[in-house]
Amino acid sequence: MKRFLGLMSLLVLASLLLASCGGASGSHLDTIKQNGVIKVGTSADYPPFEYIDESGNRVGFDIELMEEIARRLGVTVEWVDMPFDSLIAGVQEGKIDASISAFNYTEERDQVVDFSEPYYMGEDAFLVAESFTGMIAAPEDVASFKVGVQTGTTQDAWLTDSLVAEGLLPEENLFRYDRADQAALDLKNGRIDVMMADYIPAAALAEQIGGLKIAYQAVISSGPTNIVIPEGDAELKQAIDEILVELESEGFIEALGLKYFQ
Amino acid sequence: MLSNFVLYIFQGISVTIAVTLVALPAGLVIGLGLALVYNYGGKWAARFAGIYSLLMRGVPPIVLLFILYFILSGKYINLSPFWAGSISLGIVSSAYQMEILRGALTAVGGGQMTAARAIGMSRMDAIRFIIIPQAVRLAIPPWSNEASIVLKDSSLVYALGVEEILRRAQQLSATTQQPFLAYGTAALIYFVLVFFANRGLDHLSEKLKLPTNPV
Repeated sequence: MKRFLGLMSLLVLASLLLASCGGASGSHLDTIKQNGVIKVGTSADYPPFEYIDESGNRVGFDIELMEEIARRLGVTVEWVDMPFDSLIAGVQEGKIDASISAFNYTEERDQVVDFSEPYYMGEDAFLVAESFTGMIAAPEDVASFKVGVQTGTTQDAWLTDSLVAEGLLPEENLFRYDRADQAALDLKNGRIDVMMADYIPAAALAEQIGGLKIAYQAVISSGPTNIVIPEGDAELKQAIDEILVELESEGFIEALGLKYFQ
Repeated sequence: MLSNFVLYIFQGISVTIAVTLVALPAGLVIGLGLALVYNYGGKWAARFAGIYSLLMRGVPPIVLLFILYFILSGKYINLSPFWAGSISLGIVSSAYQMEILRGALTAVGGGQMTAARAIGMSRMDAIRFIIIPQAVRLAIPPWSNEASIVLKDSSLVYALGVEEILRRAQQLSATTQQPFLAYGTAALIYFVLVFFANRGLDHLSEKLKLPTNPV
């Protein structure tokens, strides 16, 4: 037992030391290039932007886009899968070098991290069951229903700030979920009436799950979709922005859209 | 397609086991140290160990995990999510393991210490050669309970970005919209792991049983 304990504490110590090594000086971009690896956070449960396909591969619009950006930076991507609402904190704390996870620009997020130029313009959608008979003619109309949303998304912020805080939507009628697919399943099961999400993933969920339809779509809370970069990291932002401009002009991004969003 | 699906979740097994194999021994080392301090370390050390145990057991594991993660994986100590998550889980578990071992140490009884001292052993030697070997044996059955809790709690490290069984099930549930299959597979894997871990520890407990133990 004594020997076992000694061995174990040695092991734990050794691994602590090993793990704490590494990390060179110089700018963030230099470090990334030196290591040949950029650590990118994503939450791979949001088809078609980022997801795991049936063979267990990490795929999606964001995934391919980021891998092409990395290729042009001369590095490879090390994916770090995190819950969506941990990603911004991950970038802030330097756990990951950047994050791509269908992030829309918001002022709150901009205060703690930086954004690349947008690579995609998002729309919001209200998803309902096919049997839904209510009227949604304007975004505010959802206030009279039970609404589901993914925690920490721009849709969550919009519902909270524009409907709940204004007294239009009772707090108990707003249901926040860890992931979009959980909300969609609850929608199908009739526990909520409406689900608010980005248009493209909402359409993908409707098709996959079946029995759901899009009742309304418009730019409400979403819009420009960007890569999240550490606050004040101008060098990395510039490098990524330049590549995004290249990819846009070469038609790479449009081709990706055709591949994933049709 | 289905077999790939299940295979993908299976790939999380090694991560879950690795997290457990770091967290449990880390918790055991800290827990045993604190249990000894509590029982033999004098008033102030015992008070410290008592407060540590109260604090660690009084806060939900996930909350502690986040706090510890930001300490263990901050600007000064920079551990990978795997190490930071596993060690944090070990620290959470250490308080429970301390209570288990403290009970076992007490169960060995003060008489043995007195007897050891009477034949001329030092206090340290008595703890090392008389008390601990018996206490650890007594602790195995309750400890196997803690082992299965840590194994199941290892799914919490996903919050820090470690892709283990449960996270893989979530991802595939999101892709295939078959939550029952995804979570059912995960549940089955956890059950099998816990089952064999407990069987192994029962076996160990039986093998190490002292002839004098009435257990």
